[in-house]
Amino acid sequence: MAGLELLSDQGYRLDGRKATELRKVQARMGVFAQADGSAYIEQGNTKALAVVYGPHEMRGSRNRTLHDRAVINCQYSMATFSTAERKRRPHGDRKSTEMSLHLKQTFEAAVMTQLYPRSQIDIYVKVLQADGGNYSVCVNAATLAIIDAGIPMRDYVCACTVGFVDETPLADLCFAEESGSSLALALLPRGGQIALLQMDAQLHQDHLEALMDAAMTACKGVSKVLDEVVRRHLQEVSVLTGE
Amino acid sequence: MVLQPLGLWKVLGSRGRKVRVVREHYLREHVPCHSSLCQAGCDNDGKLLSEDVTHYVFPDVGVVVDYQEVLEFRELRGVVFTQTACSAVQHSKGRRQYNRLRNLLKDPRHDCVLFANEFQEYAYCSRAKGESQDIWHSRSVYSAAVWYHDHLVGVKPVVMITEDEAAVAMYSSLHSGIYIVSMQEYLLNFWPELQAAQDLYCSVSQALQEKESEGTEREYLEHLPSEVLEAGIKSGRYIQGTLNVNKHRAQNEAFVRLEGSSNKNTDLNSDVLLSGGKSRNRAVQGDMVVVELLQKSEWRGRATALSEGQGEDKLPESTQSQPMPTGRVVGILQRNWRDYVVTFPPKEETQSRSSRRILATPWDQRIPKIRISTQQAEALQDHRVVVRIDSWESTSLYPNGHSVRVLGRAGELETEVQTILIENGVTVLPFSEAQLREMPVNTPEKPWRADEAARRDLRESHLVFSVDPRGCEDVDDTLSVRTLPGGARLELGVHIADVTHFVREGSLTDLEARSRATTYYLADRRYDMLPAVLSADLCSLLGGVDRYAMSVLWELDAHTLVVHKVWYGRTLIRSSYQLYYEQAQALLNGEPVQVPELLQLEPEQRDAKLAQLTGALELLTHVARHLRAQRDLGGALELEGVEVRAQLDEDKNITALVPRQPLEVHETVAECMIHANHWVARKIQESFPQQSLLRHHPPPRQEYFCQLVDCAKAMGFTINTRSNKDLADSLDQAVDPKDPLVNRMLRVMATQAMSNALYVSTGSIPKDQCYHYGLALDRYTHFTSPIRRYADIVVHRLLTAAISLDRGSDPGQTLASNKDLGVTAEHINRKNQAAQRTQKLSTELFQCLYFKDKDPLTDPCCVADAVVYSIRTNGFLVFIPQYGLKGAVYVKNREGQVVSAGPDGTCEWQSGSVHRYPDRISTVCSTGTITFNLFQHITVRISVQPSRCHSDSLLLEVLSCQPHQRPDPVDLPGPQPQGRTHLVQEVVRLAEEASKQAQEKAAQGSRPSEEERDFYQTKWPNLYSLLEEVRELALMDPQACGGGPRLSGGAGCTSTA
Repeated sequence: MAGLELLSDQGYRLDGRKATELRKVQARMGVFAQADGSAYIEQGNTKALAVVYGPHEMRGSRNRTLHDRAVINCQYSMATFSTAERKRRPHGDRKSTEMSLHLKQTFEAAVMTQLYPRSQIDIYVKVLQADGGNYSVCVNAATLAIIDAGIPMRDYVCACTVGFVDETPLADLCFAEESGSSLALALLPRGGQIALLQMDAQLHQDHLEALMDAAMTACKGVSKVLDEVVRRHLQEVSVLTGE
Repeated sequence: MVLQPLGLWKVLGSRGRKVRVVREHYLREHVPCHSSLCQAGCDNDGKLLSEDVTHYVFPDVGVVVDYQEVLEFRELRGVVFTQTACSAVQHSKGRRQYNRLRNLLKDPRHDCVLFANEFQEYAYCSRAKGESQDIWHSRSVYSAAVWYHDHLVGVKPVVMITEDEAAVAMYSSLHSGIYIVSMQEYLLNFWPELQAAQDLYCSVSQALQEKESEGTEREYLEHLPSEVLEAGIKSGRYIQGTLNVNKHRAQNEAFVRLEGSSNKNTDLNSDVLLSGGKSRNRAVQGDMVVVELLQKSEWRGRATALSEGQGEDKLPESTQSQPMPTGRVVGILQRNWRDYVVTFPPKEETQSRSSRRILATPWDQRIPKIRISTQQAEALQDHRVVVRIDSWESTSLYPNGHSVRVLGRAGELETEVQTILIENGVTVLPFSEAQLREMPVNTPEKPWRADEAARRDLRESHLVFSVDPRGCEDVDDTLSVRTLPGGARLELGVHIADVTHFVREGSLTDLEARSRATTYYLADRRYDMLPAVLSADLCSLLGGVDRYAMSVLWELDAHTLVVHKVWYGRTLIRSSYQLYYEQAQALLNGEPVQVPELLQLEPEQRDAKLAQLTGALELLTHVARHLRAQRDLGGALELEGVEVRAQLDEDKNITALVPRQPLEVHETVAECMIHANHWVARKIQESFPQQSLLRHHPPPRQEYFCQLVDCAKAMGFTINTRSNKDLADSLDQAVDPKDPLVNRMLRVMATQAMSNALYVSTGSIPKDQCYHYGLALDRYTHFTSPIRRYADIVVHRLLTAAISLDRGSDPGQTLASNKDLGVTAEHINRKNQAAQRTQKLSTELFQCLYFKDKDPLTDPCCVADAVVYSIRTNGFLVFIPQYGLKGAVYVKNREGQVVSAGPDGTCEWQSGSVHRYPDRISTVCSTGTITFNLFQHITVRISVQPSRCHSDSLLLEVLSCQPHQRPDPVDLPGPQPQGRTHLVQEVVRLAEEASKQAQEKAAQGSRPSEEERDFYQTKWPNLYSLLEEVRELALMDPQACGGGPRLSGGAGCTSTA
């Protein structure tokens, strides 16, 4: 009868986290051999797979070729079984197209595209299970995949979704928490540059700063986890290839 | 990160389809236990369980859900609510009960905490496959109890109470430190002295049992499910609103006041009528309901005839007004049940069929009868009892409830006063020891000394004085005024008691003050908001002692009186003179006055000091006149004007008639306070545009002015209601030289048309809508009476924060957010209304007690002059200036007889007919015709109409349609214009004599005199506060209007006889 209480008086969220705590992040790189780079990430119950091809020659229409840098081509899709009710179209609907565009913009800001003029980099992301923060999880997965592909980037791109409940910013929203106002931020954590910031809910401007701060902190938290994942992966790979 | 995620699958329904929802559940090792015995170094903040209890108790889910109110006893200490239980309450009992539980957990006066067992790694147990929810709940609570016991290394035994016998059997022998008992055993064994809790437990459990054995016959339509309601409201098919039952026709007529936001249907701007009990469909007064409109052909009108409130009479169609939107309730969004006072019926009325179930009649006529199951029915006959409603099934004609506690025998003074308090949700327990321990000490042995640090010292530099009613003890405002060196600037100062220095935010005293929100003035007693050591001593700005103050100092241009500079801050002052109004006025008039503060001085010195004081007063008056004139230009309403003050005084206490011809000095002080309030409002709003507390008085709705305009037209005046300025001007012109009462009545009507002035948080209203209509100020707040209003304390804190913000330092504690402040404002508004209603009811109670002792046929007190001010179908409403009473007079009685003219102008009942016109009503019968015009003076007899279940009421009967000739016209000053000052003095003298007489009379009177004397308050509240209250009353809504102002605590009954 009563609505869900997103943040209890004791400061717990629905799933037992405190306001600033992230969900558990587990990731693996190099999950596919045939792609140039790939990664799988689980952030709580949101699971995503990212695959990177390239840089390679322009395919398809050549008139999109840029002479000073590489073109980034993104495709976002959600598995039909990723949501509680089965999806009809895995990709190509409005939402996915918009999401693809956001991803493209994010990575254009982070990948050093000027090193590969007249070429193309493809990033495919698929959400296998959706439980809030789809965009952020996809960005994180794609970052790992790009690193796996060995494409130079200015920095990790780390993304996180934050929300605002009872005057408190909540980090890394799950699906139930996403219904209110939520803000997605993709950050290059070392320099603190923002690759993408997106919010389509109403929020009082006084609260924006607090929300941004929370998002930055959360992104930096994510970056630490990703960094660990990369280091571990490199260790494993070097053991295999070394002696 | 210490989290351990754990997948948890749940199946939830959404949009009718079953959907599988996956949710994570993180467990952690460190969950605070909130016990002061914790050895493990838990991160405990907030309130802690005390260590001086014999055990900790874990109520099971079923116990919390069903017996929450038993657990609310403050005497039950060491209660640990598990998160499992709390979420069960949230899911099964709804938001209201859950909020009650949340408040209980937050309230530091209750020794109980919440333990988030579901997030504790070792206390959590996941639900096994196929396990029923109840068993899982018990297992969770048990495992939480075990963890808690082990966490505290077994220093406290833990008791788990459950109503589930299987759980008792299963767990009781598993662990040596944990005892599993049932609720009843627990209360009997651990709290044998707490009889009230046991009684409550019995009555609740009985009610629960009764509920199970309910019949199946359907009396009402089922309510629609909430999704259907939500969808219906969104689509505009249904309308959402609050149910408001017509007090005089509680059985038949109720209205639904629409919520502004949900009303998409713009052509529907009136309330929706619900006619009859079936269409009300189990909704109770105050519930948030959803209604469906009926077909236009089924719409009905509201009854306009006066009803005498006994039984239901089937009204003929002719007495109904135009058909209005009519509907029926299809669902209830939110129950708004509170505690009700009921009276048990005498024995003969008790049904024999099921003797354990009694139909008790609530004191509030708007509440349906409540079915109580009790075995004490005989003992409770004719007692007033507090009950709560548990449920109202569609199979039952009446709601089921259970009794909570017994107040006493109906008709006794103490019972009746308690009834009034409970019916208005006012709880005033004496201040607890812990609260009093927070108070500073000021005794002759250990005098309190002011600390001079960090305050501006005004003791030497400023001449500070206070003007209050004679004998006032809680002085919360003082004034100062001086010409600054150079002569081009004036400095005006208002110094208010610095209550927030003593009442820290979040302290127990603060919480208590917040929950009281205001000082309650009843006819015979008063309940202070703050303990006496503060209100009458340390916070009171008494003469000749050092006191802390919050000051506002304005620098004004000496000629144009334009404000150049404002200074706000904490100060240390010493009031030089504690004047009273008459004394101050005499000083201004240049009359010789004794000022006690100057008696010891040499004559020359005395004259010099006196001249200085008089000079200051004159300067102050000059400034105040200017301020007033400026507000008048803006359109300030004189509703609080002379006459209304006396008018609103419903008590017979003539002391309250003093301001009838107020001295100019009243106005001067009031004006300075308004000025201070206004500037403080500006300051806090500029500093905290989203989170300051203002007082908002919205402009009234034009349609409410109809009655005023019509009545004025009948008298040949035109009233322009377009703006507050127009209204003020046209009211000033509407004066009948022959009868000053006419203007007075018109002002009363204007007052009734006003909207309520309310506290608001600025974040919740647009910036340009803070306008105060009545005072004609763009911003207004309450700052000047922190001793008796909590809103002022909030404003003081805001101002302090604003000052430290200006200095560049951190405001200290974080300020309440807009949302929190909104909640506070809402709470204060509600409490203020409750206080006003309480006061009105207690005044009426005393009126009835007063007239009860008199024989209406012989006692001259019972005959009085009355003025007709509104015409109804079968009678009219009158106002009795002598007693400040308002009431209905019938010209047609139950037998269909009408009032007719007797031979010598007296009236008697005869058969005949009644004719109603817009401005008069006349009766026709064999002996002739009588016409009652608006504003006509008539003579009425007042008698008491006793009522067993409800409060007694006064009955008015027409004696003659001539003005009443008083036997001794000197007793009360008549309406004839007299010399102004003479009249004032006359009234004051009479008032004092009368109040003395009344006190003596009451002391020797027929009522228990000793009790009576105990309730007397020798302290009078300050007159400015009285005026301020009257101003607020003047801005009340029509129903609430007519309540008396805060009366001086004096006699409950005063007569001039």
